[in-house]
Amino acid sequence: MSRRSLPIDALDRTVAALSDDALAEARHAALAQFKKRGFPTTRNENWKYTDLSKVIELSRRSLQTSTDAERPDIDRIRELQASIDAGWLVIANGKLNRDLSTTLDEDGIEVSPLRLDSKDLRLEDPLADLNLALLKQGLSLRIAANRSTDRPIALLIVDSAGTAPVLSQVRIDIELQANAEIRFIEYHVSAGDDEHYSNAHINVIARPNARADYLRFQDRALHHSQTARLNVQLETDSEISYCGIDLGGRLTRNDLKIDILGQGASAIFDGLYIAAEGQHVDNHTRVDHRVGPAVSAQEYRGILNGHCRAIWNGKAIVHAGADGTDAQQANHNLLLSEHAEIDAKPELEIYADEVKCAHGTTVGQLDEQALFYLRSRGLDRDRAKRVLTRAFATSIVNKSPIPELHDLIGNAVEQRLRELATGVPQ
Amino acid sequence: MLEIKNLKARIGDADILNGVSLSVNAGEVHAIMGPNGSGKSTLAQVIAGHADYEVTEGTVSYNGHDLLALEPEERAREGIFLGFQYPVEIPGVNNAYLLKAAVNAKREHQGLEEIDAFEFLKLAREKMAVLGMDPKFLNRGVNEGFSGGEKKRNEILQMAMLEPSLAILDETDSGLDIDALKAVAGGVNALRDPERAIVLVTHYQRLLDYVEPDFVHVLSEGRIARSGDKSLALELEEKGYEWVREAANA
Repeated sequence: MSRRSLPIDALDRTVAALSDDALAEARHAALAQFKKRGFPTTRNENWKYTDLSKVIELSRRSLQTSTDAERPDIDRIRELQASIDAGWLVIANGKLNRDLSTTLDEDGIEVSPLRLDSKDLRLEDPLADLNLALLKQGLSLRIAANRSTDRPIALLIVDSAGTAPVLSQVRIDIELQANAEIRFIEYHVSAGDDEHYSNAHINVIARPNARADYLRFQDRALHHSQTARLNVQLETDSEISYCGIDLGGRLTRNDLKIDILGQGASAIFDGLYIAAEGQHVDNHTRVDHRVGPAVSAQEYRGILNGHCRAIWNGKAIVHAGADGTDAQQANHNLLLSEHAEIDAKPELEIYADEVKCAHGTTVGQLDEQALFYLRSRGLDRDRAKRVLTRAFATSIVNKSPIPELHDLIGNAVEQRLRELATGVPQ
Repeated sequence: MLEIKNLKARIGDADILNGVSLSVNAGEVHAIMGPNGSGKSTLAQVIAGHADYEVTEGTVSYNGHDLLALEPEERAREGIFLGFQYPVEIPGVNNAYLLKAAVNAKREHQGLEEIDAFEFLKLAREKMAVLGMDPKFLNRGVNEGFSGGEKKRNEILQMAMLEPSLAILDETDSGLDIDALKAVAGGVNALRDPERAIVLVTHYQRLLDYVEPDFVHVLSEGRIARSGDKSLALELEEKGYEWVREAANA
């Protein structure tokens, strides 16, 4: 058995033990595909900097021990729910927890079990195959045409690991029908002392003139690993405003893929990652401008301290004929330690004539002139550094799409930065 | 209050100050003039404690203590304020936050309690009204997207809130239209006090029409080439800086 694969018999056994439901056929097809390809390796250009050995080893142990996960920490979830006014869907260890979820049976919001058959497979990524093969339960959300609501839908993805490593899969397909407007929060937390690997796959389709505000907030335990894929398809005049914030996790890999399918579409997506000793965070984004005019703009920022590594790879492809495309990319990194490493790579591929594209990447330390300015106002050096570091993060937090969460996220960011400065609790 | 003796300073390999001596007492307003590159801003930055400048010789004492031994923040808490020629934009740091942090850093140093949030706001609004600043500036990022005039008013606002013992204003008048200049001058005049000293670093005589100095010094090639009263500024305006340089070298 190769280091890159999982024990086939354990995989077969696990998939066979899942319920014989509307996903069964798709699971088997995905399993067959996964068995052929296995996990991506660092020989794959897209995975050059992210080695999944740890995730594989953890998955293997999880499949072989098949322990049940710890029960979610109910009090903590209730507390979180009380602090954010939203309709909640709670997915605990890969399964919808109906007790903790609040009712979403509002007019025009339909939640149903995901139904897929093998022809629905979009086999572009081995982790998506793994996700589907081991998926206990998927969700499908449909927001009806012209439906508009201020109250966000919050997807709480909570994973708890007990005494043995645990593996969980999340898959949600979201369709916004024409003119629908919705606000999403995808909130990741974890509990428990042992290792965990979470693999999420979310698809969003925005039909003409639909609009989604989408905030992804990840504040997991530092011994948890995660891979996440978000695929977004934007039809004519539809919009998404997205922000992804990663504060926790040993290994984090996010794949964000946006397909611009209709004229007038707009994708604004930003990200913030904070990493300290031992953390690895990898953001891969890809925008396909298939038609124009349309707009995409991204700004990712990272703050790194200690032996850690971050990767930002932003790819924008302007396909032939997508005239009128405006694609902007920016990635800024603050390195607070000489041991921190960032690999930043903007990639623009342009096959159309009339386009406006730009990218900018910076890697640096705190601005000495700004530090002096603050010190000349009486703030000591440590405080001035903290203030500037927080400010670097704040600019992303403050433009994230769910303003009522700015304080909550700002506080979490500040807490994380304090840990960064004083050494990370493990 | 401030006693500078034979101060020499350099940045990198370039000697900028070549032996400045200056004495500033409480209640006095001094203007330091001079052509570009004469060392005016360097002198201001050295007094505030900028690390890029290396003091190679001389002493600076402030209220009898060795100023050069203090960190920039300690100098600020001891009552020294530098109004920057180029105030730094700090997006993401709220203007009110910085003002309050600055005021409280000084209060803590003085053994006082933190300023009451309501008191702070009231005080800030009062000072802003005097300077003709919209209270909305409190909630904006520090100097973020401010025009040149707004940045300079913001410096004066910080000064007004901090009530320094020694205020050094580095080209606070540059790039201001007449309304902004008057507002800034009004802010400076409001601070004139027998207990306080003000040093105006300026290239032009214009500001001195509104803030009347007790002493005028002309810096040339890193030295004070000439000192006098306010009439020196007028003479300079008429004859130009070349006159001072020639007189100094003669």
